[in-house]
Amino acid sequence: MAKVMIPTPLRQFAGKQESVELAGANVGEVLAALTSTFPDLKKQIFNDEGKLRSFVNVYLNDEDIRYLKKSDTPVASGDTLSIVPSIAGGSTVAEPLTDALSKDEILRYSRHLIMPEVGMEGQIKLKNAKVLLVGAGGLGAPLGLYLAAAGVGRIGIVDFDVVDFTNLQRQVIHGTKDVGRKKLDSAHDRMKDINPNVRIDKYEVALTSENALEIISGYDMVVDGTDNFPTRYLVNDACVILKKPNVYGSIFRFEGQATIFATEGGPCYRCLYPEPPPPGLVPSCAEGGVLGILPGIIGLVQATEAVKLILGTGQPLIGRLMLYDALAMKFRELKLRRNPECPVCGDHPTVTKLIDYQQFCGIPGHTPEPEFVEGDITPKEVKAKQDRGDAFTFIDVREPHEYQICKIPGTKLIPLGELPKRLNELDQSAEIIAHCKSGVRSGKAVDLLKQNGFKKARNMKGGILAWSDQVDPSVPKY
Amino acid sequence: MIRINAEAARAMVAHAESTFPDECCGVMVGSIDGDKKTVTAAFPLENAYKGKQEDRYEIRPEDLLAADKKARAEGLDLIGIFHSHPDCDAYFSKTDLENSCPWYSFVVLSIKGGKFDHANCFLPNADQTAAEKEELTWPK
Repeated sequence: MAKVMIPTPLRQFAGKQESVELAGANVGEVLAALTSTFPDLKKQIFNDEGKLRSFVNVYLNDEDIRYLKKSDTPVASGDTLSIVPSIAGGSTVAEPLTDALSKDEILRYSRHLIMPEVGMEGQIKLKNAKVLLVGAGGLGAPLGLYLAAAGVGRIGIVDFDVVDFTNLQRQVIHGTKDVGRKKLDSAHDRMKDINPNVRIDKYEVALTSENALEIISGYDMVVDGTDNFPTRYLVNDACVILKKPNVYGSIFRFEGQATIFATEGGPCYRCLYPEPPPPGLVPSCAEGGVLGILPGIIGLVQATEAVKLILGTGQPLIGRLMLYDALAMKFRELKLRRNPECPVCGDHPTVTKLIDYQQFCGIPGHTPEPEFVEGDITPKEVKAKQDRGDAFTFIDVREPHEYQICKIPGTKLIPLGELPKRLNELDQSAEIIAHCKSGVRSGKAVDLLKQNGFKKARNMKGGILAWSDQVDPSVPKY
Repeated sequence: MIRINAEAARAMVAHAESTFPDECCGVMVGSIDGDKKTVTAAFPLENAYKGKQEDRYEIRPEDLLAADKKARAEGLDLIGIFHSHPDCDAYFSKTDLENSCPWYSFVVLSIKGGKFDHANCFLPNADQTAAEKEELTWPK
């Protein structure tokens, strides 16, 4: 026999008793015995479909059965079951929800309205929805355009970047005329042009542990369009803490992935990737490149999932990681499960507030400007050497496809990866100057050369980008 | 109808004023005689809402369970929940309604400029689609 504690207001339905002793092997059976003994209790605890009402929590002794085996949780003699409601609220001065569309809106959304899966009810849900976009870049661009067009009533955007020429190949919310403008302003103008009914909240900040909960708490869900690991973990943890779905997408070169994290009972980003990769192991899009069309595909998968969550229709991409390969033109799917041991969303979470995500990802708080290392040489000094006719070997350690974009006259191409087996092409006694795009790879090349006895190897600081800035502006930057 | 005694009202107001400009929350305990409820004591609970608390509150079910146990141990009944509305009136908002439960009386305290202004009490229906005002007797 287990003891069921009856909350005060429900005692009138349970023969005025404070507690009832009932038999049953598991929680489901004990509750069934309770409601068959006191039929009036049934509609207080269960809804018409026979499920526990949304606000009802059941505790076995001191544990929420949701984190045990739910209604299958075994019950032993002497156990105590308690019925505890979830209670929350707040004045939320936010504008009252609307329950109507204007004549203009009905016309604008007519292709939605004639589908019963959306209809007036769904379109009003979209109008009342509040979605936060983290990032107005590759993924944020199609998301902003289509969510605005679809009639999502309020869209927040977090971004502190400025539109750059290199963005235009994929960030279609920004135009050539916007180069140099804040991405927030450019995205705002474009979205307002598409749909003036949308309210846009601009957050010109980096999302941090200090501001994330406050910003995210005002929205129904987050759509993650970030391009770095610290922010991705931050968004994940904040969404788990605030119980807001996180519609996730990521892209790299020709491949992308998408899923929904942080729904009740569903997995989170940490269930998939408990630890971040070592810094520098996974190249960013700036380093590795990205097919311009790719964020369009992945961003619109995210937009579709956001709209489905709002409408409450279809099978959401929860517990499934969608993988897309543009070269093979294949979509695949991996099953994801919530990890009961997950430090954030597991049964016994150890991360219950936001942490320092830069540190978590192994990135120092302030990246110091790379120092001028002994042996480094500036592009101007290299140019002067060339002009004087000094004898030295000038090697370019970039990849052949980069060499095709631009090159410095007089250089010999030896990609960094090939350098170890091509050392014999170089003279150990000669002065060797190495360069790459920005100076990182050529730094590694110089280290390798020095280890192999090339004592006079030097790195050209800042790479071909600095050469373009300081010596020859006709060399294109990429 | 619900009657709040002076000591319980003082405890609620003190808690609500101390958390201003954030919302506060807590439980009301006392006795029920038919549809007459008398609140003899009120206890603060931690506002567990993880975002900005100026216009939100959340009660952890574990805290509510513990409060219920404590009340029972003292021979009292947990009969309601209170929370504050900083710098706005004591209405039952949509957020309040959707996250309430039909079993308890919900007292809302309006705190304006850090000082108690007025209070109202509400009873949500079974589906949390509407709440009726419950007659509230607040000490002078």
